[in-house]
Amino acid sequence: MSTIVECRGVAKRYRQGALSVDALRGLDLQIEEGDFASLAGPSGSGKTTLLNILGGLDRPSAGSVKIAGEDITKLDNNALADLRLKRIGFVFQAYNLIPVLSAVENVEFILQLLGAPPKERRARATEMLEEVALAGLDNRRPAQLSGGQQQRVAVARALASRPAIVLADEPTANLDSKTAEDLISLMSRLNESSGVTFLMATHDQRVIERTRRHIVITDGRIASDERRTRPAS
Amino acid sequence: MDRLRLLLPLAWRNLWRNPRRTVITVIVVSVGLWSILFFSVLLNAWSQSSRDTTLKMMTGEVEIHAPGYLDDPTVAHRMAPPSGALAQILNSPAVKAYASRVRVSAIVQSEYKTLPITLTGVTPEKERALSVLPAQTEDGRYLSTAHDDGIVLGRNLVKRLKTRIGKRVVVMVQDTDGKLAERAFEVIGVFSASQQVENEFAFVGISGAQSLTGLDQDISEIVLDAANEKSLPALMNALKAAAPALDIQTWRTIAPLAYAVSTFFNEFVIMWLWVMFALMAIGIVNTQLMAVFERVREFGLLQALGMRPRLVLLEVALESALLIGLGVVAGAGLAVFTVRAFPNGLDLGFLARGAELVGAGRVLDLKVDPGEFFLYSAIVWALGVIAALWPAWRASRVSPVAAMGRA
Repeated sequence: MSTIVECRGVAKRYRQGALSVDALRGLDLQIEEGDFASLAGPSGSGKTTLLNILGGLDRPSAGSVKIAGEDITKLDNNALADLRLKRIGFVFQAYNLIPVLSAVENVEFILQLLGAPPKERRARATEMLEEVALAGLDNRRPAQLSGGQQQRVAVARALASRPAIVLADEPTANLDSKTAEDLISLMSRLNESSGVTFLMATHDQRVIERTRRHIVITDGRIASDERRTRPAS
Repeated sequence: MDRLRLLLPLAWRNLWRNPRRTVITVIVVSVGLWSILFFSVLLNAWSQSSRDTTLKMMTGEVEIHAPGYLDDPTVAHRMAPPSGALAQILNSPAVKAYASRVRVSAIVQSEYKTLPITLTGVTPEKERALSVLPAQTEDGRYLSTAHDDGIVLGRNLVKRLKTRIGKRVVVMVQDTDGKLAERAFEVIGVFSASQQVENEFAFVGISGAQSLTGLDQDISEIVLDAANEKSLPALMNALKAAAPALDIQTWRTIAPLAYAVSTFFNEFVIMWLWVMFALMAIGIVNTQLMAVFERVREFGLLQALGMRPRLVLLEVALESALLIGLGVVAGAGLAVFTVRAFPNGLDLGFLARGAELVGAGRVLDLKVDPGEFFLYSAIVWALGVIAALWPAWRASRVSPVAAMGRA
């Protein structure tokens, strides 16, 4: 099993005028290929900051971050954009689909950015929508889909490019219980069937219970990192 | 090309997220461009009309006189008819048409009134190639030969003299000996033109004018049109070399007002283009800035998904290009439609004599110049896209983290 994410001494300091806030304080973390991990902690503990840094959306103030062996702290903005495109899938709390594109086009968009041929990308996008149980809803725009359906499209989009890791920030926060359960099951099934690595920042106990690894972050440091062989079903 | 295929549908659909704003911007651009194009057509027509009114009445593109004639147009400043090198050039392909004239100040007298005129002795067949006045002889007939005994007067002059076709008028001039010479002519034709031309000019055969003034074979002027206006400078050089002792000038110096009117209109179009563009640019930049500010979160998302900032800039620039493109197509179409609504030209009759004051004819011949239409449309489109690069650049500078953190 290879290491997908490797953080060494990652720190992040935000400055607001004369005030400085340490969001991460020398954090060490390794995510292995195939992990299905939750990242929990109180508000302001640094979960989102960590996800942003791992996703190449933000840069650490200190330390090194390697994604699939590549130190991303040395990459320029374009290289970071390429990294996000090729290696990282994102699932956001607020779905964040492109409103003028249909479900299938949202998924296809990533593949189009990657330069995939039209037939191939349409086939892959349709396959991913089937995978997340949205077959038949291909041509609906986000506004015509429910919250749960939009989040499924977001998952399909995140997986379309076969990324090294999917980073999800509170993916169930805006969903009702039933829809949240379905989404967790979906991600769990995708993790088991395709070996996709998931790291989810969450407060949702149902997500935490279903993951095989549970990381708790407090005051910008890893407080606990627990591996479970058999998560709750 | 792949990038365009990716961004074009996205840009097009984004345009219609706020149809009202898009339609308003398209209207602003199209009305702005319409005004530029239509004004350009109108002013070009006006300029052409002004030029034609000047050049097709009495002034040629080039006029040759004896030195001092333009300041004192009398028989004292006469010249020999063209010969030698000058005649060779006048009969060459570089010259479209030329005519020799006797043109002197005179007095015309009817049984009721005496009025000042410019007596013009012409060779009718040569004159027809240079001036529209022979064709504008509406009553009676124009002169038939250089030896014709009749006189052709302007409609207004006929009215003021209280004369008519078939009656006789007496023309008095100062001859080459400084004596007063007079001769009666039968009114054979009445022409219509501008009020000033109708009042001023009276046409007789050149032989009659020469014998009346004592000029013998001499003339007052040679008027000519070049075969090609662009070759006018070269023709001028050749004429000056062939007749260095004569005063040779183009219509630009002989009729400076007409020339100023024609060049002013060209400059006015350019000035109008910039004024309209400045107004359009404010609208375009404002619209695109609004569109960018409303979608900051989305631009953050696009970058988070792996779209490079350059592509975000391209996407927003494409939106602007499409938006302005729609306005440009609509504006150009509207301008063509407007021009085609006047197939027989724009009748300035409602301006009465006002149009004459700035040298225009009664009917302006409106024509679409495809090259000019394309040029102005392309300029407006390109400048609009350049103006909209600022909002596009701002969109590309959005930090994904900050943008995604916005509610």
